[in-house]
Amino acid sequence: MSERDVTKPHDTGRKIPPIAISETSTLVNPTGSWKYIMPRYEDRVAPCNAGCPVGIDIEGYMYLIGQGRLQEAADLLVRENPMPAVTGRVCHHPCEDSCNRASLDEAVAIHSVERRLGDMILAAPPPPAPERTREETVAVIGSGPAGLSCACFLARLGYGVTVFEAAAEAGGMLRLGIPEYRLPRAILDRQIERIQAAGIDLRTSTRVGTDVPWAEVDAFDAVFVAPGAHVGKDSRIDGAESVSAIRPGLEFLKEVNAGGRPDLGERVIVVGGGNTAMDCARSALRLGADVTVLYRRTPREMPAIPQEVREAKQEGVEFEFLAAPIGVAKEGGVFTGITCQRMELGEPDESGRRRPVPIEGDTFTTKADTVLTAIGEDCDLSFLPGDIGTTWGLVEVDELGESTSATVFAGGDVVDMPRSVADALGAGKRAAIGIDHFLREKAGEDVGEVPLDDLRFGGGNVSALRYSKDADPIPREAPVNQTVTWDQMNPHHFQTAPRHEDHFHDAIDLRSAFGETNFGLSQKEAIEEAERCLNCGVCNRCELCLIFCPDMAISRREDGGFEIDMRYCKGCGLCAAECPRGAVTMTREGI
Amino acid sequence: MSQTIIKQHIPRDDLLASGHLACPGCAAPIAMNLVLKALGPETMVVLPACCWSIIAGPWPQSSLRVPLFHTAFETGAAVASGIKAGLVARGDTETTVISWAGDGGTFDIGLQALSGAAERNEDFIYICYDNEAYMNTGVQRSSATPWGAWTTTTPTNDPEHQPKKDIMAIMAAHRIPYAATASVAYPVDLVEKVKKARTIRGTRFLHILAPCPPGWKTQNDETIDLARMAVERRVFPLMEVENGGTWRFTVDHPGGSIEEYIRRQARFKHLTDRQVEIIQDEVDARWGILSNRVEHGT
Repeated sequence: MSERDVTKPHDTGRKIPPIAISETSTLVNPTGSWKYIMPRYEDRVAPCNAGCPVGIDIEGYMYLIGQGRLQEAADLLVRENPMPAVTGRVCHHPCEDSCNRASLDEAVAIHSVERRLGDMILAAPPPPAPERTREETVAVIGSGPAGLSCACFLARLGYGVTVFEAAAEAGGMLRLGIPEYRLPRAILDRQIERIQAAGIDLRTSTRVGTDVPWAEVDAFDAVFVAPGAHVGKDSRIDGAESVSAIRPGLEFLKEVNAGGRPDLGERVIVVGGGNTAMDCARSALRLGADVTVLYRRTPREMPAIPQEVREAKQEGVEFEFLAAPIGVAKEGGVFTGITCQRMELGEPDESGRRRPVPIEGDTFTTKADTVLTAIGEDCDLSFLPGDIGTTWGLVEVDELGESTSATVFAGGDVVDMPRSVADALGAGKRAAIGIDHFLREKAGEDVGEVPLDDLRFGGGNVSALRYSKDADPIPREAPVNQTVTWDQMNPHHFQTAPRHEDHFHDAIDLRSAFGETNFGLSQKEAIEEAERCLNCGVCNRCELCLIFCPDMAISRREDGGFEIDMRYCKGCGLCAAECPRGAVTMTREGI
Repeated sequence: MSQTIIKQHIPRDDLLASGHLACPGCAAPIAMNLVLKALGPETMVVLPACCWSIIAGPWPQSSLRVPLFHTAFETGAAVASGIKAGLVARGDTETTVISWAGDGGTFDIGLQALSGAAERNEDFIYICYDNEAYMNTGVQRSSATPWGAWTTTTPTNDPEHQPKKDIMAIMAAHRIPYAATASVAYPVDLVEKVKKARTIRGTRFLHILAPCPPGWKTQNDETIDLARMAVERRVFPLMEVENGGTWRFTVDHPGGSIEEYIRRQARFKHLTDRQVEIIQDEVDARWGILSNRVEHGT
């Protein structure tokens, strides 16, 4: 019994019959020998991290925000994504589609938090340029997200990088294709300045193959090819070639995004269901036109980001589904509109979407002053030497972006299908790792294979932090590179909390306004939103395991983690069953 | 906020040592640990015969870091009354005395002593951790065993005939200042109730459902989940009764079918669907009575 033992007979000075008194603890009993299975703290990968094409440690920066460590959160974000202020605005955020919280109430608004952190980063002066530690230089063709991402990561790895950009300003599709109301130019400019500040030599108005010969870029130790996809696909409208009112949507966007305000007339038809089509429609709307989007399948098959479609509808864009343009309508030789074929959905095609099939004889004519075609873009690869393999108009590369030619790597829209800013950023990061590995091997370093599976978040994209073996700001307990699923977690310990939705500009003011429509979240809201993160798979020291261990076998370690005393753990499994985030595993190993 | 951070609500120091002799996954030590965390070291424990007589450890050991008095089955409340009186006689009015008894020692064998002490409003906290049978001696039915359950004395061809005794109504009828139910699956609620009970003088009663993997025939790691389900599905509602008349629920009880709760326990394996419906009806009826008490008092 304890020191303050009041039950001892001599204590009272009276005659009390002798009784047995325990004076030792049960700590002498090694009750842990009863177990046949034992717990182990094993952090896993959150599905958002695995679902991010860029390879961002989303769960990690959410954890840091939750701890009030905003600057560290921003540092971790930008460590993996060189342009968070851009992706926070324009990414299609597949992270949110994979967010486990959707099974509880609603996915965390990751993009809003990223945007807030991204803007916070932009408000501070850029960090000093990374030290140049490598002799080699790398040429990057194209300054879109893939090119700038690769350039940025290569500069951080110590290389000299020169970026060749055909347009007068850097940014690629971010500048040429994405309208200002989605991505203000001031944000893009500052983001690019920051990347440039990493010591990157940026040569604008320099088209490889025209302004400089291929041989000049080939003279670098390695080349990263990321010129993008700029050639609009043929509209397949009979007689369209001779009609100037039918024009490629991308060309129209480039004109508008460069400050042009073309007269489209009163009625505009946009053909296509992707993001270019949405951008065309909403830009045309801002030029004062009535806009209808013509799409040959149904809303379900639209490749555009659902949010973009929603906003387009809110702004007043009309949609005509299951219709495809087939011919030009003219009156007295003057263009008046297009004839369209009614479609129905047939069997699924190779993309898994149901194929549109014409309904025989069911056609209609619709009036239009201008028709913008946005049914996809092709790449102009004519500047590439013949020994670089291509398939279906795309450059063939391995997982680290290496083409069939040893020194040439490629990424972004010349490789990806489907295409996105996030995929381009991720490809740039992978290629930077591929180039670093290639050049080190070439320099005679014993580098072995790139441990690609270990670098990936679950099955997702690679982590630059892991590649550089930098210290992880998140304390991780024996991490296992597996994505944690909702059924491995215990939802009972979570409370529901509504998602913070972005604040939008009032739709009534939208026409003729190219200002940003989405204002995002306030700092306070973004922090609250980050606190909705469940930290899937990663111990955040909630201490439920300590409370529910019937054997008091778990104790706090000095460094903030926990320790299980196997002398006393009976292997009941309550810690693993009750861990809200699936960070404890039961195993028979080692018994 | 995604999760209540439990460590902000529950004291950190353990007054229960490892190496105790509870079965793996037992809820009883979790309950004891939470109660002692809430009460702190100025506590004495009276332990009539129950599982905890074993869990505490054989002589010369004790797993508690506070004084503990083993006593006979029927005497929990009487001995607690006496120890409290002794402490007061020595001038110690601050130490909390608890009687820690199982359902057998409370619902059956110790009920007379408990009723006597409660009627005199003796100054201690009586805590019943209820695993719904005499588990320590090999699973014999008690009057806390639910209708339809298998025990060794209510075999599957003739399972328990009687519904669980309404101990809360009995205690409320004594008009004691404070009575409450609690669950190991709701540790913050449990700790808050114990802390509240500690501030009150007179007889206080706490009834904690304590799932028992071997007796309920469940997996070791299901203990908390079943305790939680019992609350959510209104099998074991969490409430407080003040002065025997003011009834109050302390958490949400969303309700829903009890089928999963029953089917996950192999002690109910022999029940037909119709019999599960009977249990559901009983749960619903009791919920109705309880809701009425909450609304109108008794």
